[in-house]
Amino acid sequence: MVPATRAVFRELLRRELEERYRGSLLGAAWLLLLPLLQLAVLAWVFGHLMPARAHGGELPYAAFLALGLWPWNLFANAANRGVTALTDNAALIGKVAVPHSLYVDARVAASVAVDLAGFALVLAVLLASGVALSLPGLPAAAAALAVVGVHALAAARLLAVLQVFLRDIATVIGQLLVLGFFLTPILYDRSLLPAAAAKWLAVNPLVVPVETVRGALSGQGADWPALAASLAVAAALLLLANGFLRRARSHLEDFL
Amino acid sequence: MTAPPLVEAVGLAKRYPVLGHRGDRVSALWDVVRGRRPRRVVSVLEGVDFEVHAGQSLAIIGENGAGKSTLLKLVTGVLTPSEGHVRTRGTVGALLELGAGFHPELSGRDNVRLSAALHGMDAATLAAKMPEIEAFADIGGYLDEPVKHYSSGMVVRLGFAVVAAVRPALLITDEVLAVGDEGFQRKCIRWLDDYLAGGGTLLLVSHSLYHVQKLCRRALWLHEGRVAAVGDVFEVSQRYLAAQEARQKGEAVAPPSVAARPEYSVESVTVNGVAGEGAVVVAAGDRVVQDVVLCSRDGRAPVMLNGWVRADGTPVYGVSSEMDGVPAQALGGGRFRYRLCFDALSLLPGSYRLRASALDAEGLRLFDTLDREVSVTGQAREYGLVRLPHRWLGADE
Repeated sequence: MVPATRAVFRELLRRELEERYRGSLLGAAWLLLLPLLQLAVLAWVFGHLMPARAHGGELPYAAFLALGLWPWNLFANAANRGVTALTDNAALIGKVAVPHSLYVDARVAASVAVDLAGFALVLAVLLASGVALSLPGLPAAAAALAVVGVHALAAARLLAVLQVFLRDIATVIGQLLVLGFFLTPILYDRSLLPAAAAKWLAVNPLVVPVETVRGALSGQGADWPALAASLAVAAALLLLANGFLRRARSHLEDFL
Repeated sequence: MTAPPLVEAVGLAKRYPVLGHRGDRVSALWDVVRGRRPRRVVSVLEGVDFEVHAGQSLAIIGENGAGKSTLLKLVTGVLTPSEGHVRTRGTVGALLELGAGFHPELSGRDNVRLSAALHGMDAATLAAKMPEIEAFADIGGYLDEPVKHYSSGMVVRLGFAVVAAVRPALLITDEVLAVGDEGFQRKCIRWLDDYLAGGGTLLLVSHSLYHVQKLCRRALWLHEGRVAAVGDVFEVSQRYLAAQEARQKGEAVAPPSVAARPEYSVESVTVNGVAGEGAVVVAAGDRVVQDVVLCSRDGRAPVMLNGWVRADGTPVYGVSSEMDGVPAQALGGGRFRYRLCFDALSLLPGSYRLRASALDAEGLRLFDTLDREVSVTGQAREYGLVRLPHRWLGADE
């Protein structure tokens, strides 16, 4: 069978997006409401409830947090949703021959699209409310987000295949992502950590892209070599995931 | 062979890993990571070779668990063979467990879009075909409801409608004709007839040997994962039947009960002028006339199927008016008559049932059956059921 791959991808993507708010009263309006709500919560908690300031920076803490949180969520949501992309589509995989990665890719694409839209909205709101974001930093931030995206795709493909064999993966991943959240400088600035800890933290390949997004948008230059290194790790992971997918290809249906 | 075959399978084998214990999944994963074959496997198919040429529909028959569905999944590429390979050419449409693969939360229309894309149809073509699909499925406003609210029949209708619109060069179906209501089944069969007449090729799994013989020219009999026979559909299906009967000997077969009057029914069977339902006595070698009146609710002439069955259920002979190309004699009011004459009955003495069945106008579905008991009297020392024409050769022949 030769499915029109692009059309299948489009339909899968549409399905992922429609499924998300199906049956909810507000429907697609959640796409806009949810990021605004999250931002409002951050602003209220850190602006009024327990006022905090970012270390050394000009940004209000809520903005500092937002600039780290959305890039992280881009990865975390895609990985978390991608894990079950194959097992959720078991019925379809057993009936039609479509490259398995398409299911994972569609889910990651949907998740990334939603989070990107949310991030764009958050940036717009921050700008409108007078936060001094550095617009010339946008290209660097976009490049860093792209690196996060490659990480997300690699993680989702790898985890989705593992999940087919071991259903424990999805459970574990939820907790690992929480750990990852704290091991990535989102709530804090890496310069606040003891030097040894800050160095070790850089082992986490998501540290650099997340920091780059925030740094670029608050007027600092990007550390391009470090970003390139992170991209290299992401590309290696993606290659590994593809190799794993290829090797597991003939066995996946047996375990679904 | 001029054209290359639509499907070519060589040495196909499929073995599933055994997943009884929790640890099996871990070791299976470890095998995959290291690129090794799984160690503990159940073999479902072994060494299956076959070809399907354009216009030569192939039926796959066999008992439950023989590996028929697995074979179809290997052909569609849903499963990867453990050994051997299978190649397909041209567009392939598959209806495996019809309609499955539909997403329960999404509306029928959304599912049709996904399904069409999976069958290789692009958006523009689908837009043009959508009215045709809607008309074929004929489920009205349900098209925009989530599929989870559908009855199983509606799911089937929608699934078949998509395939009908796709019109692939090769259509792979798994027991499609066993689902859906009578009206829709007839619609499907009419479509299949038309599809086959138009040069389409079918790869069919069915337990209905009648459909198998009607729709396919060749058959492949799978037994416990291996090819037991492949070749002409009648030859293979008869060998299959014989094997089945040998196995089931002794099992009583309950006659089908007719609750309501079906679409096509048998009104009466008169044998040698004896009406009613009682037994008829004829002498071996005598003339037997079966005079059958069939009723049709839609006014179309039904096809009559005759059958001679031994009292123990062994089929002896059967022929239909459609096979012989004989038209019905219309009696008016939806009643039709067939008269079938056996000039010199070659059955050996014994108890038989003379069967008359009403089929739809296409001669595909059996709706009603009426049996008359016939005792063949006479004296014969031969064995078996039928006296075959024979002669003994002399010394100089």
